Amino acid sequence: MTSLDMIHRSEAAVSVELQTPDMTLNIGPQHPSTHGVLRLVAKVDGERIQDVEPVIGYMHRGYEKLSEVRTYAQITALVNRIDWVSGFANEVPFIIGLEKLMGVEAPERAQWIRVILSELARISSHLVFMASYPLELGGTTPLMFALREREYILELIEEVTGGRFHPNFNRVGGVKPAYGGGSTTKKQSMDLPQGFFQRTSDAMDRMDTILDQLSELATGNEIIKMRTVDVGVIPGDKALEYGLTGPNLRASGVGYDLRKADPYLTYDQVEFDVPVGRDGDCYDRYMMRFLEIRESSKIVRQAIDKIPSGPLQAKVPRVLKAPAGQVYSRAENPKGEFGYFIVSEGGKMPYRLKIRSTSFSNLTILPWVLQGQLIPDLVAIMGSLDFVLGDVDR
Amino acid sequence: MEFFDGFWIQLVLKVAVGLLVILTGALVVIYAEVKIGGHMQTRIGPYYAGGRWGWAQPLADAAKFLQKEDLAPDGADRKVYGFAPYVVMMSALAVFAVIPMGPDLVGADLDVGVYFVLAISSISVLGVLMAGWSSGNKYSLIGGLRAAAQLIAYELPLVLAVVAVVIQASTMSLNGIVEAQNETLFTIGSFDVALPYIFRGQIVSFAIFMIAAVAELSRIPFDMPIAESELTMGYLTEYSGIRFTMFFLGEYASMIGLSAIAATMFLGGYSVPGLEGVSANLGGPIVLLLKVSVLVFVILWIRWTWPRLREDQLQHLAWRWLIPLALVNIAVIAVFKVAF
Amino acid sequence: MSDAPDTTAVEPNPLEKWAISLADRLQAEGAIVEFDTVRIAVARDQWVETIIAAREELELFSWLSAIDWSKDVAVGEGVAEPDELVERFEVLCRLSSVQSDAGAIFVTTLSKDDPSIGSLAPHIGGAEWHEREAHEMFGIDFIGNTNLIPLYLPDDFEGNPLLKSYPLISREVKPWPGDVDVEAMPAKDEDGDA
Repeated sequence: MTSLDMIHRSEAAVSVELQTPDMTLNIGPQHPSTHGVLRLVAKVDGERIQDVEPVIGYMHRGYEKLSEVRTYAQITALVNRIDWVSGFANEVPFIIGLEKLMGVEAPERAQWIRVILSELARISSHLVFMASYPLELGGTTPLMFALREREYILELIEEVTGGRFHPNFNRVGGVKPAYGGGSTTKKQSMDLPQGFFQRTSDAMDRMDTILDQLSELATGNEIIKMRTVDVGVIPGDKALEYGLTGPNLRASGVGYDLRKADPYLTYDQVEFDVPVGRDGDCYDRYMMRFLEIRESSKIVRQAIDKIPSGPLQAKVPRVLKAPAGQVYSRAENPKGEFGYFIVSEGGKMPYRLKIRSTSFSNLTILPWVLQGQLIPDLVAIMGSLDFVLGDVDR
Repeated sequence: MEFFDGFWIQLVLKVAVGLLVILTGALVVIYAEVKIGGHMQTRIGPYYAGGRWGWAQPLADAAKFLQKEDLAPDGADRKVYGFAPYVVMMSALAVFAVIPMGPDLVGADLDVGVYFVLAISSISVLGVLMAGWSSGNKYSLIGGLRAAAQLIAYELPLVLAVVAVVIQASTMSLNGIVEAQNETLFTIGSFDVALPYIFRGQIVSFAIFMIAAVAELSRIPFDMPIAESELTMGYLTEYSGIRFTMFFLGEYASMIGLSAIAATMFLGGYSVPGLEGVSANLGGPIVLLLKVSVLVFVILWIRWTWPRLREDQLQHLAWRWLIPLALVNIAVIAVFKVAF
Repeated sequence: MSDAPDTTAVEPNPLEKWAISLADRLQAEGAIVEFDTVRIAVARDQWVETIIAAREELELFSWLSAIDWSKDVAVGEGVAEPDELVERFEVLCRLSSVQSDAGAIFVTTLSKDDPSIGSLAPHIGGAEWHEREAHEMFGIDFIGNTNLIPLYLPDDFEGNPLLKSYPLISREVKPWPGDVDVEAMPAKDEDGDA
């Protein structure tokens, strides 16, 4: 065949000749962008992903089996380690479920403190997202700004509970008396630290400033928009089919927030908006969390105004025994709906504890949404789903 | 001084001084990147090595790399793997041979200086491809292929931007281009005013050149080949020790080199208004250094501020925006050159 | 705050009314409401159809899991009355609505001899991983799920960890220290709460 014939061949003929086999690329478990030890076995054709199979379980700690041999008080200490980024928020649904089972109602002040700490946990989790997501896209600076602000939040949480990431602050019937242990019947109150509300209020003011800074640096940036708009679109019905909840679901247009739909604690006494997206692409998921920080700071400010004085914990028996029964309780975690299904046979330990972890359900959609995407988009999409491997693997 | 006129003596001196200056410059730029980047991110940056300012940090890093074990992955093609860093380093350093620092301070005053620069700097593509392929690692391969596509795509706007300058200067020699910018345009009182090309209609070429230069350097926002958060280090993943240092220094050396080319062609190079003879040779390098510093600072600034473009968006920018713009720019410059 | 488990003698409250009407609409076997949690009992061979029909109203697929009701308990406490226990598996699936706070857990019973049930994975994409987890933790076979490879456990793992008869290695090595809520602090009174 002469060289002239080669040149005149059609495009289609040439591309058929050049059939190259797919390459199997193993992404993780040690990788800068898989939020923990997630392994993706991807079949790629050049840069385009044909098929991806997530392999999880590198962090499986056996929470559900362990809970069968722990008393309820011991489980309370363990559960904040499931989704370690939003520590306090993991304990809340468990305690609410236990209180339902035991028929105990926490006093008003304790409920409001739980609300404040849950919202601080939400802000903290979303700030981690604001730090790590632009980093995965290549922008190195929002990382420092967001984590610097997060330090203020973590200091507040540490002041009250003693732990930055693992508060272990909830007790059945209320919250732990703040300054160390002690019987709750003592007249001397072990309440929140002096000046806590003032410092929290200042931190919320800082939140507004950092959101403006991040808005210029990251949210309004052309390149971020190019990388995230129309990337990884998840339609609303697919999201419902796969069990997506939280900001991921709201970005796809389904305005479902448990704080409004099924209010728990004192969320029905505060006013806030729930941002709802439209397209279900990465940019919407990013904006959801961005706007939710503002809403959370509103809730915290209202809570500081409305919190009554009173006891921190209701009277509960020394040895916690739950009556026989099955209860499912859920709460709006920063990442979505987090629930516990407690099966109790009347003893000190649950017969079965099923943990409905948000990130596990959020991750099930990954093979579907990554079909046919480019490798850089894989990083953008995984980052926008905002999962934590501790939550996925339990 | 006859001893210093011998060919070999001149050669050795020029090479020695040149290498010293370039490598020191590269170390300074490395320090500036981490220090300035640190302050932009409201943190301090290097702090311990060398007292409070941390100025010895690049020296400490270089010492660390030099004492590392000479590793090569099992599946790597050793000959190619070992040779690739030197290709990249060589192409980065050779550019400095033609950059004039003063009217007489130039390594080799070639008539085709511009042509030489563009040709030599494009050899680094080969080095990058060799590195990506021979590492025996799929991530490196992807990084290497991305690099090849990106670097080849952005060669064209680079060349076309330079063509516009060559048309206006009517010469391909870098000394000649600087002298052309020294032409008196008009006189105010007893002052002969000469303007660098950036103010004489080459602003578009300057913009295209700088964008293409950042892309040629594989720096953010064009660092898909390295893409730290996706490919770990792209084509550099398997490199460590001295070989990594070669790549690293080569990148910073070519940053200085491309900035120096841009300063020479667009900002007037070494020329200081009103200086002739020996004082021009003394003041020239300082002026060039200042101009290069400004350009390097802008490149560093962009790196710390923006995220990275995706590969197809990169290509889109090059082929559908920069190249047509550069072609139109050439046409306009040519028309103006002929008409006026 | 807690509802009585048995609702036949007393006028049912709104949640119970809704649960009974849901069970009627889906032709399920029954509804139990306790502690604000609705459980709808479904026959084993009606499992897939009932869930798919229920998704018209409760669109969000939340989770799917199982419970092992067994007398052979290796660790932890068993059931309250072991003599009255019928050994079985229960498969649970929780669906909730996104328009309101409605939600229900659908329960079906599998016998220990034949722990298999139709799979929801071909109809509900999200169920695939939950079924994989239930399969490897309990040994339940989901007919129709083509991807029942282990999810969490290593490939060479033997056994089904969440079965009651599966021991915990740490308890084998060091026996349960007994009923101590919290150890006494040195030179201080023992506190009741941990």
